[in-house]
Amino acid sequence: MIIGSDLRRYYGLGAVQVRALDGVSLEIQKGEFIGVMGPSGSGKSTLLHLLGLLDRPTSGSLLIDGVDVGVLDERARTVFRLRRLGYVFQDYALVPELTAQENVYLPSMARGMTPQECTLVCSDILGVVGLGDRIHHLPSQMSGGEQQRVAIARALVNRPALLLADEPCANLDTRNSKVILDLFRKLNHDLHQTIVMVSHEEWHKSYFDRIISMKDGVIETETNGNRDSDSMGNPSG
Amino acid sequence: MFEDSKVAFFLAKRSIARGNKGTLYLTILIIGMVFVNLIFLPSIISGVAVLFNQQTIDYSYGNLVIEPKKNQVYINNADELQRKIERIPGVTGVSPRYLTGATIVYKGNEVTPLLYAINPDDDRRVLKIASKVASGEYLGDGDTDQIVIGFRLAGNDDEKLDVIPSLGGVDVGKVVDVTFNNGVTRQYRIKGIINSDSYDVDSNAFITKNEYESVFGLEDKANQMLVRTQETGNEDMMRNTLMAFGVQEKIWTWEEKSANFLNQIIGSFNIINFIGTIVSLVIAIVVIFIVIFINTVYRRKQIGILKAIGIDRSVIIKSYLFQALFIFAIGTIIGCGFLVLILQLLAANPIVFPGGPVAPVVDAMLILRSTMSLLAVSLIAGYIPAWITTREDILTAIRG
Ligand SMILES: Nc1ncnc2c1ncn2[C@@H]1O[C@H](COP(=O)(O)OP(=O)(O)OP(=O)(O)O)[C@@H](O)[C@H]1O
Ligand SMILES: [Mg+2]
Repeated sequence: MIIGSDLRRYYGLGAVQVRALDGVSLEIQKGEFIGVMGPSGSGKSTLLHLLGLLDRPTSGSLLIDGVDVGVLDERARTVFRLRRLGYVFQDYALVPELTAQENVYLPSMARGMTPQECTLVCSDILGVVGLGDRIHHLPSQMSGGEQQRVAIARALVNRPALLLADEPCANLDTRNSKVILDLFRKLNHDLHQTIVMVSHEEWHKSYFDRIISMKDGVIETETNGNRDSDSMGNPSG
Repeated sequence: MFEDSKVAFFLAKRSIARGNKGTLYLTILIIGMVFVNLIFLPSIISGVAVLFNQQTIDYSYGNLVIEPKKNQVYINNADELQRKIERIPGVTGVSPRYLTGATIVYKGNEVTPLLYAINPDDDRRVLKIASKVASGEYLGDGDTDQIVIGFRLAGNDDEKLDVIPSLGGVDVGKVVDVTFNNGVTRQYRIKGIINSDSYDVDSNAFITKNEYESVFGLEDKANQMLVRTQETGNEDMMRNTLMAFGVQEKIWTWEEKSANFLNQIIGSFNIINFIGTIVSLVIAIVVIFIVIFINTVYRRKQIGILKAIGIDRSVIIKSYLFQALFIFAIGTIIGCGFLVLILQLLAANPIVFPGGPVAPVVDAMLILRSTMSLLAVSLIAGYIPAWITTREDILTAIRG
């Protein structure tokens, strides 16, 4: 589903060159919930930016959903982001002039859905993230946890092949973090949503299928998560 | 394409509804004022042109002016020519006249105006001078020892009030000495003083054609023959008609006779107007540019987010174009409102030019031209800043 080979991202030139990513190869299957971890400055965000087509690698190739995204031009990348990718930022990154509902509405509208379809999928997805009653509020009138749930709804509204989240819980307390993570788990389980999420917190590990640990721009280890996948599917668990 | 516009329109609508209202109102007001400025001055200039043209026709030339054939001083067989032209359909009056320089003396004041020699009855059918007698009476056909002069030429007791060399405040009934350029001097009683708002008429003097002919020993001639036609505006056609009826003398239209004078005035006005228009449009460009630019810079992060979630750059640019269009549209409507108000005020208290009150001429062409140029300016001034700001790399924009 995702195949990255020898991805490199260098900033600057010569002596001051920063090798944010220094040869990362990875493969992610459909339906996986991946955690990307590692110390600060290890290149986690840089990797996620590449996967989210927000940045281009200095070298290396990247296949998402069978498409070699390296050859796409700027316009095609924008369309790709709109239709196949959902991105959740650490600071929510909602459009402040739009209400929760309108923020979610926007990508589906841009995709060319009719207003009826938009309204339908929006209220659906806002229901999924658990924001039934506050949908007409502006971001400034909502808590961080609520804003992040709106951002997740926005990322999901076009049913992306891949959901990317860069420290989505960094600005939230434990209780709200848990709400978000449980939501991710539910999406992953119920909809087979592929998710790649960057995290710092040890206790998040229990949610991931697989953990990619990074250091100095390379993958240090890949381990299976602590997650007991049976407990999710087992009604008695 | 249509989807894009829908999204852009949606973003623009929200931006206007939830953005800073004060700035928006101010911008719209400025655009409204620019619109007024684009229309008002040209409409006044057109009004002045219309006024001057009417003046020229009513007080100086009628519609057509017939002058002697090449190398001749006089139109010969003037009576016969006059009768012939009078019979042409569409002609409502023909007035033969002589023009000469003369020296008029009254109580030591000496002036050298133009002296027109006319047939008063014919003159009334072509020009409107007879209706502008300020005191006394206009000439009659049989008058011989009478003269009519313009009020500027009559002048004032207080010389400082005079605009041109004058006779020092001569009144109706007083007698002046007139020396013609053949050396003959005769005495004339002032029969009337004209105040017509026409500079030409108010600075000169009039006697009868019969009197002039007796001074110079002429008969059945004229220097000019003025022709009044039923309609104004089809002078070229009437000239052809006259020629078709066998008029061999030179025929001028009033426009040709007054071309220099009028073109100079309208020319200078148009330069002023051109500068005013450019300045207005530059103001419009700068204001809209700054407003949109501040808008986009202020929303740098938001633009980055929009691009990140898959909104195309062209859609974002289009949303700012819609905002510029909105400012333009409302500004123009407000401007129209102001304009109607100003025109109504002007109708109640007209601007009075030498020559009479000026009625501003607002024609569809002028409105169309102003609206179109303002539209173009708005689109350009909206496009450029949006283009510049949306060029920025997504990650840089999102980091803020
Ligand atoms: N635009 C940039 N210009 C220069 N260097 C950059 C730029 N962006 C990132 N870097 C560098 O690249 C390296 C990796 O950065 P990255 O943001 O990927 O780290 P991270 O693992 O996400 O860290 P954190 O956990 O603090 O978010 C860092 O050393 C950083 O300083
Ligand atoms: Mg990071």
